[in-house]
Amino acid sequence: MPIHDQGYRRYGGNKARTGTGWMVIARAGIRTFLSKRAFLGLLLVSWLPFFVRAVQFYAAANLTSIPQASMLAPSAETFRQFLEQQQTFVFFVTVYVGAGLIANDRRANALQIYLSKPLTRAEYILGKLVILMTFLTLVTWLPAIVLLIVQIAFAGNFTFFSNNIFLFPAITLFAFIEVVLASATMLALSSLSKSSRYVAILYAAVIFFTQAVYGVLYAVTRSTALSWLSFSANLAQMGDLIFRQPLKYDTPWPVSLLMIVAIIAVSAVILERRVRGVEVVA
Amino acid sequence: MAGLVVADHLSKWYGQVIGLNDVSVTVPSGITGLLGPNGAGKSTFMKLITGQLKPSKGSITVLGEPIWQNPGLYHRIGFCPEQDTFYDRMTGLEWVTSLVRLNGVTDTEAAAMAARAIEDVELTDAADKKIGAYSKGMRQRIKMAQALAHNPELLILDEPLSGMDPIARRKTIRMIKDWGRAGKSVIVSSHILHEIESMTANILLINQGRILAEGNVHQIRDLIDEHPHTVHIKADHTRALAREFLGHDDVLSLKFEEGAVVVQTGRPDAFYTRLTDLAASGEHGAIHEVMSPDDNLQAVFQYLVKA
Amino acid sequence: MSDAVRSTAATPGVLPSAVRIFDLSLGQMLWSRRSVFLGVLLGGPVLMAIALRIVDTLHASGFKVNGAAIGGSAIFGMMVWLLFIRFIVPVLGVFYGTSLIADEVDDKTITYLFTRPIPRRSVLLGKYLAYLACTVLLVLPSVMLVFFLLVPIGGGRIGEAFPSLLTDLGMLAVGLASYGAVFALVGTMLKRPLVVGLVFAFGWEPAVLLFPGYLKRLTVAYYMQALVTHEMPQDSAVSVLLQVFHEVPSVTTSLLCLAGIIVLTLWLAGRAVERREYVLEQ
Repeated sequence: MPIHDQGYRRYGGNKARTGTGWMVIARAGIRTFLSKRAFLGLLLVSWLPFFVRAVQFYAAANLTSIPQASMLAPSAETFRQFLEQQQTFVFFVTVYVGAGLIANDRRANALQIYLSKPLTRAEYILGKLVILMTFLTLVTWLPAIVLLIVQIAFAGNFTFFSNNIFLFPAITLFAFIEVVLASATMLALSSLSKSSRYVAILYAAVIFFTQAVYGVLYAVTRSTALSWLSFSANLAQMGDLIFRQPLKYDTPWPVSLLMIVAIIAVSAVILERRVRGVEVVA
Repeated sequence: MAGLVVADHLSKWYGQVIGLNDVSVTVPSGITGLLGPNGAGKSTFMKLITGQLKPSKGSITVLGEPIWQNPGLYHRIGFCPEQDTFYDRMTGLEWVTSLVRLNGVTDTEAAAMAARAIEDVELTDAADKKIGAYSKGMRQRIKMAQALAHNPELLILDEPLSGMDPIARRKTIRMIKDWGRAGKSVIVSSHILHEIESMTANILLINQGRILAEGNVHQIRDLIDEHPHTVHIKADHTRALAREFLGHDDVLSLKFEEGAVVVQTGRPDAFYTRLTDLAASGEHGAIHEVMSPDDNLQAVFQYLVKA
Repeated sequence: MSDAVRSTAATPGVLPSAVRIFDLSLGQMLWSRRSVFLGVLLGGPVLMAIALRIVDTLHASGFKVNGAAIGGSAIFGMMVWLLFIRFIVPVLGVFYGTSLIADEVDDKTITYLFTRPIPRRSVLLGKYLAYLACTVLLVLPSVMLVFFLLVPIGGGRIGEAFPSLLTDLGMLAVGLASYGAVFALVGTMLKRPLVVGLVFAFGWEPAVLLFPGYLKRLTVAYYMQALVTHEMPQDSAVSVLLQVFHEVPSVTTSLLCLAGIIVLTLWLAGRAVERREYVLEQ
């Protein structure tokens, strides 16, 4: 035919298989945050403790002539402390990235649009989770693993690594628990409101208020057995266990683990109920 | 006579994006339609007129005074913004009353003024219902009520008909025309041309941050003399008429439609004179209807915007 | 229509306009979902006090710290420090203070207030007064309930301790006023005031109080300390360090400085609101 039809033509190319929609959400979300200078600054600052530790490892390995250098020698506790220090950045990254993840979509009535596409609620939630988990991994697991590699590089041998072979799985496991807990909690809170500011305060309340409540009870009873009330104390307990450190609290570690699992489960229930295309107002 | 709103080399930019570009215009009293496509700069101009934004360059005065950081001027101005947001938990009457109270009137006066304004916009039956339960049209009307409750001289309405059903639109257009007749000045912005046309012939046409034209729509049309004037003629013998038209150099082109001939002329006055004579003489058959499809805002708009 | 309404000659006064904004905002703040949530949060200390009272009633031996019995007043003091001063008051200040204008901007209702014949700073002042009234109405009853529940523990007498309750109530009201004013300024000047507010309240203040020198005078907590009649609990190494570097101004100095902070920050915030352009999202 000499004259071609210029009208609308259906897309005839390949389509991604169903179940991969979450990757689109995750990619778009990650790109959005990486384009913000303030956030890049926060990520950069979160790596400062890594550089401090790297200098420490260098000094311990290469400045052996100085007597104090031996005090700087790394141990499993060093990595445990490093991840504990990173919790400040975990908090700020979670608030910065996570507070508006679902809240902003609810404010803009975008949930209806998302869920009217061939995208399940699970994919939507997974996509949002991946955004937050990616950045949290960047400030927890990645710097800790790179620190381990740096230690090997500066020491010039695998002695420390082979003596502490559990460190790699320990870092991975603890970072995973920390990242999943923070992400699930924040995402659940984000689904409760249309205001990211309110969500951030809710999250801060969960962290600091539970810690304050435990603080009062500890001050009154002088017992650490009630540490299961504190969000951050439960995580600290698991961290000590995983890194084979003496446990700070008298709370049995299965109780702390149970609390963490319960928080994640409650978050999942909240997400299941709140992430809907239509909000039914009775 | 000093204009209602006088902009003098007014520019506004947001970072690197120019919202309004060197605009100098005087808006007269009466009803003025501010017209332009989306992103033309209407909202920016509205925000500058209502003192929400400060000019980046130039100046703007409203009712003879600069508006930026001059809250006293709001006694004389009523603004109905575009956004569909309220304090949803309040009833219509409570909301309008609490806003009118900010004009410094007593509680009793504020309640009376609010009730009068709500009656003007025909929402008395819904005045005690929460705004959250209002329909879109009702919300638009309660917004207008808060704008006119304190009896301002100048009403500024940003897309007042947005989201309204046809009946509500007609009512609102009638209200705006009534306010104009009552002596209020109204600046109403829209991108819906026939609605502006039904309210006023006085327009301000804006596109890409610049004023394209201002004044009476018919005068503007006449001034666009480079643009050929289209005349639609229904007649019995269209071809005979066409042969007659083609003999004159002011006819630039013509085409045939069912029972009609559409002529483009560069000199409409001369053409209409000749057409009148032809119709009177009946030389080329009866002429049933003469219409100019582009002696209206749509044509003016399309021509100027595309140009 | 009266001519007074038409006149543009006199710009209306800040205070009368602020009172009208206060009237408009108080009901909204008190009955919003957020305040209901915060009311529930403030019920936490009350529930704790009830639990402690029940435990005390069931166990005749009462509460002991390092073998020494502690009375209800001491427990109440710990709760005032750990829950109210270190957490609740700063969080309420951050949450409400940073959102005074920001909430109206997000909800796009700010236009209605800024196109009224009132100075813009009176909008801020009116909302600040509403915040103060709202938080005082939420916090003070919670403190009073906790007081009445806890003080009788260990044989304490409410009558004897009542004057200190009044001091505490006054101190908390001053704290709410101070933090609210500081964060109102933060809210008007920054794009992400909540994160900065949280950093200030939970990062800067606790850290700077530890260091000797003049830096601590740039915190609200430094002046608040002087107004607290209860002993600071030693619940952590930070608290112990704080006791070591404990440097407390006089009550008069603290009150004057806090009054100065409130006036200065509100004035600066009002100035920022007057000059700033609020471009609403389309």
